[in-house]
Amino acid sequence: MRSLIFGLALALGLLIIALPAAGQQDAFDLHAAMAAAQPGDTIRVPAGVYPGPLVITQAVTLIGEGWPVIAGTGKGDVITVEAADVTLRGFVIRNSGISLDRENAGLTGLAPRLTIEESRFEDVLFGIYLKQAHDSVIRGNTILSKDLDIARRGDGIRLWYSSNVLVESNLVSGSRDVIMWFSSDCTVRDNIVENGRYGLHFMYSDNQVIEHNILRDNSVGIYLMYSRDLLLRQNLLTGNNGPSGYGVGVKDVDNLHATGNRMVGNRVGIYIDNSPRDPAATLLAERNLVAYNQIGLEIQPLTKRNTYTHNVFLENGEQVALTTGGQLSGNHWSREGQGNFWSDYAGFDADGNQIGDIPYKSQSLYESLMATYPELRLFQLSPASDALDMAAKAFPLFQPKPRMADEHPLMAPPTLPEVPGLTPPPTLANLLLALVLLALALFILAFGTGNVMRKT
Amino acid sequence: MSLQIILIIAQKELRDALRNRWFLLYTIAFVALSLAFSYLALAGAGIVGFAGFGRTAASLINLVLLIIPLMALTVGAQSLAGEQEKSTLSYLLAQPVSRVEIFLGKYLGLALSLLASLTLGFGISGVVIALGGAGAVDPLAYVLLVGLAFLLSLTMLSVGLLVSAFTRKASVAVGIGLFLWLLFVFFGDLGMMGTAMALRVPIANLFLLSLSNPLQVFKMMAILDIQSTLDILGPAGLYAMRKYGDGLYSLLLGVLLLWILLPGLLAYARLAAKNDF
Repeated sequence: MRSLIFGLALALGLLIIALPAAGQQDAFDLHAAMAAAQPGDTIRVPAGVYPGPLVITQAVTLIGEGWPVIAGTGKGDVITVEAADVTLRGFVIRNSGISLDRENAGLTGLAPRLTIEESRFEDVLFGIYLKQAHDSVIRGNTILSKDLDIARRGDGIRLWYSSNVLVESNLVSGSRDVIMWFSSDCTVRDNIVENGRYGLHFMYSDNQVIEHNILRDNSVGIYLMYSRDLLLRQNLLTGNNGPSGYGVGVKDVDNLHATGNRMVGNRVGIYIDNSPRDPAATLLAERNLVAYNQIGLEIQPLTKRNTYTHNVFLENGEQVALTTGGQLSGNHWSREGQGNFWSDYAGFDADGNQIGDIPYKSQSLYESLMATYPELRLFQLSPASDALDMAAKAFPLFQPKPRMADEHPLMAPPTLPEVPGLTPPPTLANLLLALVLLALALFILAFGTGNVMRKT
Repeated sequence: MSLQIILIIAQKELRDALRNRWFLLYTIAFVALSLAFSYLALAGAGIVGFAGFGRTAASLINLVLLIIPLMALTVGAQSLAGEQEKSTLSYLLAQPVSRVEIFLGKYLGLALSLLASLTLGFGISGVVIALGGAGAVDPLAYVLLVGLAFLLSLTMLSVGLLVSAFTRKASVAVGIGLFLWLLFVFFGDLGMMGTAMALRVPIANLFLLSLSNPLQVFKMMAILDIQSTLDILGPAGLYAMRKYGDGLYSLLLGVLLLWILLPGLLAYARLAAKNDF
């Protein structure tokens, strides 16, 4: 009896596997259609599983209908595009190789003007890898990496010498980086990158517009390196933690303009390392929200020519930290008499012009000590560390020199542009649990004042 | 040993605590300050849309570290010594109850009174935080924080009772309790900081050293509870995470339990052996 049931189940299973393959694979031969195509043709690919690898050598438009799957063999690339002006839309691309040094990818683009849209990449080492594929468009794709240790994963999207590329509305989850190498004039907008190493990573890539992206739970949200003329606008960076976690990391970047971004709940909100490096270049950060990070803004002490205005520094564990201690100089903490809003500003505004009358100074004995002796971070949040700061205020002899001073701190936070993507906590559950706590308190009080025990 | 007798003594102890002006003062201070902190945490809620629970919790942890040891140490220190001074202890011992029952009853009663203050403070501020939209993303983290604070209060209660068992006058016991509070809250950590700076203690040793202070242990557990990582504690925190991994929480819990059990057992041993009333 048991073997009969087993046999039936096996037969059913085989049928389920065989049916779609038999029904659809016969009906449409992708490789034959590709071979017969002329440049400029549009090929509609019905649902089904098509074996990879697929090499596209003609300027064709491939449109998947009902999520056809291009399945790799677990070795090498799944799709290679060798012709210019190719468009792919609506495919599921899965199972590339896992060789990091051969850079196995779901899709490797080797020619200009490639458009890859509305596709799903699953179980691929690199997702989309463009090499000298200028003027391409990567839009609306979902890219899921292989379940490997982070050091062995590939990049969700990698641009290599590919200028003027639009990377828009993609979701990249669990890959290494989304990285632009030597790729200038790109626009990266409306993407979500999560659970990776560097959410967005720019190397030697000038003149970028990076806007409305959501970078969450990566090691670093956006890492900008060795690039010039970057516009960073209204991105959300949250939950980027770990030993070297930054919301935005800026290393050797000239002329960065960061505006309207929100760095909420990262280890370090913004990290500035030797930027700008060109003596003629600057860095401008305005109307950013830097809130609830362990460190709001961490700067290397030799940084110069930075301007911070109309930013909100809200309840960061440390508002401004210097990497190895010391003082900052040659930076502007206000512009045209308008500084930043600091949630720990303890000044006043007697003349009512919405600007604090005494400067905001970042000055804390304990924080200065932590910069020199990082092991003292162990004592964070303990009353002893507060006592140190209080003692330093009482005896100015011990007070370190201020690391920076905002001469014109704002009394109220400025209005900031909207950045969607933060989920509020569950109010009802929190309220209920608080009420449970109160009930417990009342119960104990009732026990303490009642005569319950005496009656028995 | 009878549970009923323990409960009766616990109830009496609880009633005494509610009449104790110091206890009421501390409770009011704790509730008022936690309310103030959670209200302050809401100030930013309008800008982000909601407040970061991490920062609210950080100030609550700070508050717990400051007030709960003070409360538990003084209540514990007053307990046995105070009763001995008023001669009510010898009256109690003359009743047909064993010393274990007396000790456990007292411990339970005092623990319940501390739990009442904690739940009152955290309950009221929890309502404010929740209504202000600044609650925890995982609400259970908040309850766990209360549980941890309760464990911390038990360690300090045990230490307080130990002091109480070895002194004859309540005023002396409370004095020693206050001194211990200063030691646990300020001087211990300041001393460790100074040592770390002067001798450049390796972080492995510094971490082990910090385990000697139950307040630090509570703080680390609370941070693990809220952030599930000790990143915020810098190199020493990262070292602890790397070295002990998933066992870190159990290690810290073990240390706290030792701090509850050892002074508690010593205090009981002293009470059991005591003949000079």
